[in-house]
Amino acid sequence: EEVDMQQQAENIRTVFNDPTNFNVKHPLFSAWTLWFDSPATKGRNMPQTPMTSFPQTPVPQTPGGLASAAQGWMEDIKRVISFDSVEEFWGMYNNIVPPSNLPQRANYYLFKEGIIPAWEDDANKNGGKWSIQLPKDKNRPNVDKMWLYTMLAAIGETFDPVLANAENPDDAPQSLITGVIVSTRPQFYRLSIWTRSAPQATGTDEDNKLKERVEAIGRHFKVNVLGYQSNAKLHAPLATEVEFLSHKDSDKKGKQARKIIV
Amino acid sequence: TGAKPTSLGSAGPSVLANARHIDDFSAVNYPEGISSPITENAPALNKPRHYSRDFLLQFMDVCKDKPDNLPPLEILGLQPESYQIARGGSNR
Repeated sequence: EEVDMQQQAENIRTVFNDPTNFNVKHPLFSAWTLWFDSPATKGRNMPQTPMTSFPQTPVPQTPGGLASAAQGWMEDIKRVISFDSVEEFWGMYNNIVPPSNLPQRANYYLFKEGIIPAWEDDANKNGGKWSIQLPKDKNRPNVDKMWLYTMLAAIGETFDPVLANAENPDDAPQSLITGVIVSTRPQFYRLSIWTRSAPQATGTDEDNKLKERVEAIGRHFKVNVLGYQSNAKLHAPLATEVEFLSHKDSDKKGKQARKIIV
Repeated sequence: TGAKPTSLGSAGPSVLANARHIDDFSAVNYPEGISSPITENAPALNKPRHYSRDFLLQFMDVCKDKPDNLPPLEILGLQPESYQIARGGSNR
């Protein structure tokens, strides 16, 4: 039996055992899709040939639910690639452009497969986002690592530890994370983490628990992913704190919006 | 030999595309110095629930080949800023 075990182990070759002839890869808990837009993608149609085998940006079929606003929003956002293994993630990462080298007004959106990076998606419509804005001049050397660590926390499912802590391996609860975004603007970068739900400040036990869970994601983002001290004050010209806003409140702006800051 | 099957391009699906998902992590022998996800994932051994950053970073310098399903970046309009400036294509 020992020989069988040995044989079996030799037939399973990870990329570490044999980088050019591995036969297994490490599955991610969810499949993910990377999307991209920039001024250069606006109005750009994918060529008809010979590239028809590449995925077109899908227009989700929803019974009148997904407003035409979202369709307009998604028109210029191009689907780059979908993947569901650690090895494919790195193959993608090592062959695309890091944020520090993107043109102005560009965005990467890394979302769970089946969720489009729009408020109107069912998975996002009741949610919100943690975000931080960073001045570009001081952070050009940092932004690539911050974005990489944000993506790794997303695909590694470490933002929301309910999954890891679940007792029953067959009945995993749903993570709050739907996607992460990096944006380049003329004077700053922005990193965002989108959640499925947002606390409503109703004072119910359920809402308070959700608020704790959402705040834990924000603290993990600030301290473990971005590398700040937990008590660091980040607000400065062109810079914000790590702050949470529901998508519904983002619509309102100004006074009525309830921001959570960690 | 030093030839990389995945760099042959038109020779069919790459090694990356053909590899299957690990379904039992206890059957995998990681080389010395590479950490297994098992220790951080008990009790969900068959399908890890999460991977730590340190575990994921081990792959960074090993998985360099372009996945088969990554379109040429110029088709997507996804090009470095310097490229666009060099081509006079800056939108400013």
